Amino acid sequence: MAVKRALIIAAVLAGLALAYTLYRPGPDEYVWHLPEGYPRPVVPADNPMYASRVALGRWLFYDRRLSGNGTMSCSTCHLQSLAFTDGRPTSIGSTGAVHPRNSMSLVNAAYASRLTWANPLLARLEDQALTPLLGDQPVEMGMGGREVEIGALLASDENYRMLTKAAFPDDENPYSLLNALRAIAAFVRSIVSYDSPYDHYLAGDANALSPSAEKGMELFFSERLECFHCHGGFNFTDSTSHANSTVEQVGFHNNGLYNLAASGAYPAGNTGLFDMTGVARDMGRFRAPSLRNVSLTAPYMHDGSIATLDEVLLHYARGGRLIAEGPHAGDGRLSPFKSEFVTGFELSDEERSNLMDFLAALTDESVLTNERWADPFAQ
Amino acid sequence: MRKTTTSSIVGSGRWAKRQASCFLVFTLCFAACSSRHVPVNLEFVATWDGQPLQCSESGVRLTDLRFFISSVTLLDSDGNERALELLADGRWQQAGVALVDLENGAADCVNGSLAMNSRVSGITGTDEFSGLRFVVGVPFDLNHANPLTALPPLDDAAMHWHWRSGYKFLRAGVATDGDGFWLHLGSTGCAGTVQNISGCSRPNRVLVELADFSPTTDQIEVDLSALFRDVDLDDGVRSDCSSGPAEVSCAEPFSALGLEFDEKTTVARPPSQSVFRVWR
Repeated sequence: MAVKRALIIAAVLAGLALAYTLYRPGPDEYVWHLPEGYPRPVVPADNPMYASRVALGRWLFYDRRLSGNGTMSCSTCHLQSLAFTDGRPTSIGSTGAVHPRNSMSLVNAAYASRLTWANPLLARLEDQALTPLLGDQPVEMGMGGREVEIGALLASDENYRMLTKAAFPDDENPYSLLNALRAIAAFVRSIVSYDSPYDHYLAGDANALSPSAEKGMELFFSERLECFHCHGGFNFTDSTSHANSTVEQVGFHNNGLYNLAASGAYPAGNTGLFDMTGVARDMGRFRAPSLRNVSLTAPYMHDGSIATLDEVLLHYARGGRLIAEGPHAGDGRLSPFKSEFVTGFELSDEERSNLMDFLAALTDESVLTNERWADPFAQ
Repeated sequence: MRKTTTSSIVGSGRWAKRQASCFLVFTLCFAACSSRHVPVNLEFVATWDGQPLQCSESGVRLTDLRFFISSVTLLDSDGNERALELLADGRWQQAGVALVDLENGAADCVNGSLAMNSRVSGITGTDEFSGLRFVVGVPFDLNHANPLTALPPLDDAAMHWHWRSGYKFLRAGVATDGDGFWLHLGSTGCAGTVQNISGCSRPNRVLVELADFSPTTDQIEVDLSALFRDVDLDDGVRSDCSSGPAEVSCAEPFSALGLEFDEKTTVARPPSQSVFRVWR
């Protein structure tokens, strides 16, 4: 009897052990750390998330050897302390060339249905990463024509050789630009924000927002201000997709920044979607960026032409920007291409400060300090 | 090495037999269809006002000249089209497309590459020629596939337009003192997403038709003075055209390439291109 009971117990234990072996997360499974109810990003089938891939991508993201003259890494224009932006109106490449556009935050780039300011073609981080690395209009990292050096770096550097082998165990020759891009994309995809006071408020902590921020939230989501039409959803942008999305949302909007010669035109080379399509109604249409961490990402707009968040609110209250003189003179409020949601509104000083408090409550301090996204060379 | 190979073939009876039958088939075929597999080389030369142009440090300087050609067809003496089958060489050409590179990265060709290639090689079915047709551009399917897994010459990242999807069919530029112009030609106004492009409103492929051309006696001139004839190279402003659907600076070079701007699309008119010519 005792023997039989012992056998049954042994069998149950063995079964449990087997089940554990089969179902425990493997050492390489990437853990998103997302709170319950927060959707996972879309992950391309040919670049699944592995801890090892994210680890490799993290080193590459911070490595200056990925620029032609060794002066910059991805992190030069995407600083963790500034929610992965660079604080400049527009970025400067490794050779000193000035980029026409403002560095976008990489936080929650994983949820962006389209990438960069106004490119309807770019949907995957793997494809986007090629442009800053190799592009020459303007030169950013300046690796164009030297792309074989990236694969060579993976093969020759001892740390990279080990990391690359682990991240791409099934590849006969894993030391390639393709795999470097996959790893960088996996790392950037891993930078997600879910820990702001606003998130805590949504999760049931009524004290996470100050009374002023709460009022600001009501204003933000009001039909009077219309902010949420373009900056809606959990990611505060209408160009959002996630693993459970049924419809792909892609939006580009003209917010009345320019109206050159009263024709609706934007400055040449920075006309937004129009640069890509040539269709008149696409003039000045840009993707609405996520507002998560927006208090940290000054200056604002695609060309960094508004210095502070407060001025951004004044811009929308006016319903477009008036530039009185100079080569960009014109009243953006009267632009024929302006979004129907940028109509202007009355906003008291108190309401403006309420809105500022709400936007500040979208700052996720953990994104700025989390070791998982920090510079591994500094550790 | 050669000695080992020879002795191993000689030493095997089966090999010797196979060798003999191969030889027989080859001889018969050669006798019966001697004009069916004619190797052809096309030679390209860059010019400015009738003089060869290269990356240099004085006068009108070349800054870039690289382009893809595809759909290469020779016309035989009766005017029939005879496709030129491009031979894959692992560097400059694959079956459907070849890269011509007439710059060597020297002097003002700062974005260039050291290696050059002025020749496109293939096999065609005639040895009597009366003309040549080709497309400056990459065929649609190849154009929008992943450049990182593409075979040479489509693995050349400098010729790819990552943010637009597709290749720069032609990179051409010149500099004068304090002035200059560069052109990047490629498909624009594309719909879909990268690696999943459904079509482009401005394909911007150039159709070239050269009458009275024979590869045995003639080369193909790429005349940049014709390409930039109507561009102002004396206004002290270095300007450019990167084929944007609404870039006004593209009008003149596009016109020289026989590309006619319509409101919604770009139409290629081969007879009106003046850049590619017979060079004898």
